[in-house]
Amino acid sequence: MADTILKPEELQPAAELAGKTLEQLDRVLLGRKELHRLVLIGILSKGHVLFEGLPGLGKTALVRTIGQILKLDFKRIQFTPDLMPGDILGTHILQQTDSGKREMVFQPGPVFTNILLADEINRASPKTQSALLETMQENSVTLLGTTRQLPLPFFVLASQNPIELEGTYPLPEAQLDRFLFRLLFDNASTEVLDQIISERRRGELPMPTWQMERAQLESLFQVMNRIYLPRPVSRYIARLVSATHPGSAEASEAVTRYVSYGASPRAAIAIAEAARAHALVSGRPTVGFEDVKVVAEPVLNHRLLLNYQARFDRMSPSRLVQQLLAQMDETGLKLPGDVELQSA
Amino acid sequence: MASHAGALKSFGQKLALLLMVRSAVAWMTVWFFLWGVVVLAVRVSGLLKGHGLALGLLGCIPLALIAAWREWRRREAVTKIRAAYDNLNQCGGVIMAQEAADMAEWQSALPVPAAPILRWRSGRALGLLGISGVFAATILLLPDRLTTLGTPHTLEIGKLVGELKTEVETLKDEKILEDKKADETQKQLSQLEKNSSGLDPSKTWEALDHIKESDSDLAKQAAEEAVNKMTSLAAAQALASAMNQAADDGMSQDTATHAAQDLANMLTAAKLEDGLLKGDVPKELLAQLNGLKLDGLNKEQLQKLLNAIQFNKSNLGRSMTNLAHLRLIDPKYLSQCHNAGQCTNCNALAAFLSTCTNAGSCNLASLCYGRGGPGGGGGTGPMTWQNESSEDSLKFEEHALPPSANLSDAQFVGVSQSAPELSGNDVSAEHGALANAQGSGGSANSQVILPQHRQAIQRFFKRDTQ
Repeated sequence: MADTILKPEELQPAAELAGKTLEQLDRVLLGRKELHRLVLIGILSKGHVLFEGLPGLGKTALVRTIGQILKLDFKRIQFTPDLMPGDILGTHILQQTDSGKREMVFQPGPVFTNILLADEINRASPKTQSALLETMQENSVTLLGTTRQLPLPFFVLASQNPIELEGTYPLPEAQLDRFLFRLLFDNASTEVLDQIISERRRGELPMPTWQMERAQLESLFQVMNRIYLPRPVSRYIARLVSATHPGSAEASEAVTRYVSYGASPRAAIAIAEAARAHALVSGRPTVGFEDVKVVAEPVLNHRLLLNYQARFDRMSPSRLVQQLLAQMDETGLKLPGDVELQSA
Repeated sequence: MASHAGALKSFGQKLALLLMVRSAVAWMTVWFFLWGVVVLAVRVSGLLKGHGLALGLLGCIPLALIAAWREWRRREAVTKIRAAYDNLNQCGGVIMAQEAADMAEWQSALPVPAAPILRWRSGRALGLLGISGVFAATILLLPDRLTTLGTPHTLEIGKLVGELKTEVETLKDEKILEDKKADETQKQLSQLEKNSSGLDPSKTWEALDHIKESDSDLAKQAAEEAVNKMTSLAAAQALASAMNQAADDGMSQDTATHAAQDLANMLTAAKLEDGLLKGDVPKELLAQLNGLKLDGLNKEQLQKLLNAIQFNKSNLGRSMTNLAHLRLIDPKYLSQCHNAGQCTNCNALAAFLSTCTNAGSCNLASLCYGRGGPGGGGGTGPMTWQNESSEDSLKFEEHALPPSANLSDAQFVGVSQSAPELSGNDVSAEHGALANAQGSGGSANSQVILPQHRQAIQRFFKRDTQ
């Protein structure tokens, strides 16, 4: 792995591509630069992203814009309580062929796309939600014994409403764990709103002025594979995920107090991949501790199962992860308490 | 321009050095505290003295070196130091990747090399080091008198022992105390002076008090004996002088015989050879006195006897003076001794002896004493009745109390403890303790006449009629 560390001239084009993509996103969708960065990281990590925000904050617009910039096929499913798995995956229908024979023909569902926007995924029944489990993990659909591969790259960008929880079905932990990030949509600032209102009639989004070719996207994925993860950083990721488990050696007091179950190894893999993507977007061939710190919160904030004490004390997973990042020494240097290290 | 490699190396060295110094300071602090405690224990127990213990402080040097060496061995791996440098300089993992690959092409993209700042909050550690050093130095420099609590202090009894030794020596010289006993006592005193301990002074003081008391008792016994002997010797001396004088004035043989007998009895009764203060009279003289060989006791022999008596008296006086000088006896004994048996009128005795024809009927010795009369002493002195004393203010003056009513009509109100005052015959007592007495109830402090007072009251009221 060390032998394949990218040279500056190898990384430069990829960094530029990522930069252009972000530029386009920021141009089309105003006031969410960090969010766009994380979404791109999620794409580059080949991970699925869960959006959480109130209606009208631009979740669907973001996903559609991503699809446009990356020239990826995009489909949207509005999840409702009566949605069936066949509505997502596809189903067999009886059709008459040209020769007059009748046979069951598979009709692919909307999942057969590059980017699937699952709107309000928590409205569908657990049965329907679980239909996405195989697609998100295996990138395939198995129906009636036949496995069909989904087109690559395949991303599920789901959204859920943090309010209006009546009649909803919270996603099971197994499905939550398959999302790389959980990104929170905040309200737009006054300046952004002012800009939207003044520059866009009826909130219509401008078209991207640049699109990434498929080959370019593939090259980005290739470059991703060569981003070097130093051993101290991987060690830090492992310590961080272990520290989310109550009773572990490095677990903080808050973790012990509020967490029932910590993050799984899938979370560690997700952090590593996302950190690589962040390094690429930042134009570095190696992953640093700061990359891990940026991606750790969106990776971990939906993988920690908190207890009732956390509800009473209004402790959120995001705050818990932030505390953990602040307390944990990245390098594991184990300096005495009266010795401090500061940057020059 | 400094390189990241140089800055990294400098950072690693500084970190190792700082941790070594920190560890050395900690161990030195512990050593100073420990050594101070050890020195304190050694000095208090009295095992060792002197400032040689200060050399132990130098033990902190090898200890510091050992601590530094241990810290050097436990220093962090280069990987971690590199990771810390990378993190603090925000190099994005490039410095860490240098361990695995050549990252020279990426050096230009890195920030300016700078060794991270190491800060050791050494206040507490150095403060403890200072305190421990001061503690060790203080313990070393403490005066012995403050630290040797465990060593037994000898009591300062030299002067007292010296005084007692002088007393014992004096008693030995005066033959009041046996030589062997005196030597034993001297040895005991020497041992007490040597072995007395400040931890248990009571035993020492008890022993010294016992010796002092023994000496005082012996001296007092000797003094009383000396007074008695002096009395006898003085009487014998007076008689012998009178005999000497009467012999020239024609004392009869019979009188001389009786006088010699009395003299012998006096000398025998003196018991000069007995007791603590031994003396003696020439035996041949005593035998002659007893043998009634008048012709053998001539003037010369009488003078010799007088000299012997005086010699014994002088010895006794000298002994008493020595004892009084050492305050072993009360000075009154000395004056008693000097004045014991003094004859007030030896000439009268000599005259009596020279004129007496029936000396056997009286105790010649007693003639030395008394002139008769009240306060003149002597049982045979003439009794005279003169100057009768006045009876004024000697007799109880009677006072008549005013008459009271018939006792049967009287109401008891209390018993007065003070004398009732007279204010007229027909006036009942208005003063005194009964002034405020009332018929019924009355003061809570009223005196109660008990049945046992009945006779006294009857006598009081019947006295007038008698």
